[in-house]
Amino acid sequence: MSDFYFSGDVFSELDRMQRQMSSLFGNLPSSMRSSRADAFPRLNIGSTDDAIHIVAFAPGVEPASLDVTVDKGTLTISGERKAQATVEGARTYAKERFTGSFRRVIELPQNADADKVEARYENGTLSITIGKREASKPRAITIQ
Amino acid sequence: MTENTQVAAQNTNDAARKNEDNARRATVTPAVDIVEDSNGITLWADLPGVSREKLDVKVHDARLTIEAEASLPVPGTVRVHHAELRAPRFVRAFTVSEDFDTTKIDANLSNGVLRLTIPRREQARPRRVEVRAG
Repeated sequence: MSDFYFSGDVFSELDRMQRQMSSLFGNLPSSMRSSRADAFPRLNIGSTDDAIHIVAFAPGVEPASLDVTVDKGTLTISGERKAQATVEGARTYAKERFTGSFRRVIELPQNADADKVEARYENGTLSITIGKREASKPRAITIQ
Repeated sequence: MTENTQVAAQNTNDAARKNEDNARRATVTPAVDIVEDSNGITLWADLPGVSREKLDVKVHDARLTIEAEASLPVPGTVRVHHAELRAPRFVRAFTVSEDFDTTKIDANLSNGVLRLTIPRREQARPRRVEVRAG
C-alpha cells in the first residue's frame, strides 16, 4: 500500500513551498497544462502491468453524487460536496475544506480499455481501475 | 576529479536523508473546518482513505491530536506516475481552551470525514442573567 505514495520530506517541503507561492499569486496555475495544487479531489495515478489505477481523495461526498465517465480517451470525475448547514450565531474559526461542485479530467493513455472500468468509493476515496488492452501488456518473446 | 568528489558527497547526503526519513516520516496536514456555537465546538477534518481502526484522536494537557493513516485497496506493486497526496499519514494538533470539556468529546468518522464535537463546560456556557426590578 505504501507503494502508492512518494515519501520523503524534500518532496513535501517543496510541495508546501509551491502551494504557498501559488497562493500568493492568487492560486493561478503555473502553466496551461498544470492544475491548481489545491484542486479537489486530489488524485494519485499509478499503473500495474494489467491496469491503470486512479485514486481520487474525495472525503465526505455522497456516493450517489459522484459521476465517473470515460469519453474520447479522457476520464472525468465530477460531483458535489455540500457545505454543512450553518447554525445561527455560530462563529467559524477555520474553513479550509472544499465545498461545492468539482470536476477533474484525466487524459487516458492509448492502451486504456474503456470497456474495463471499475469504480469503488470507500472511506472517502474513489478508486478507479481501468484495464489495459491485451496487445499492450508486456510479454516475453521466446527466442527460437 | 571534481565530479568524482561531488558524487561521493551526494551519496552520503542521500544516506543521511534516508535515515532522517525513517526517524521522522512524512505527514500530511489535513484540511479542517472549525465552528463554535453556544453548545461547544465542532471540528471537521478530511481524512480520505482512513478507516476507524487507523484513526487515533488523543487529548493530553489541553492538546488535541489527530493522527490517522490511510490505506488504499490497491493490489500488488503499483508504479506511481502522479501523486498529489504524497504521504499516507495525517497529523494535526490543536490547543483546546479550558472552556471546553475534553472528557466529553464525541468523534464520528464517515466517508473519510472526521467530525469531533467538544461540548462547552456547564460553567462556561453563555447565560442570561435575570434582572430583577427593584
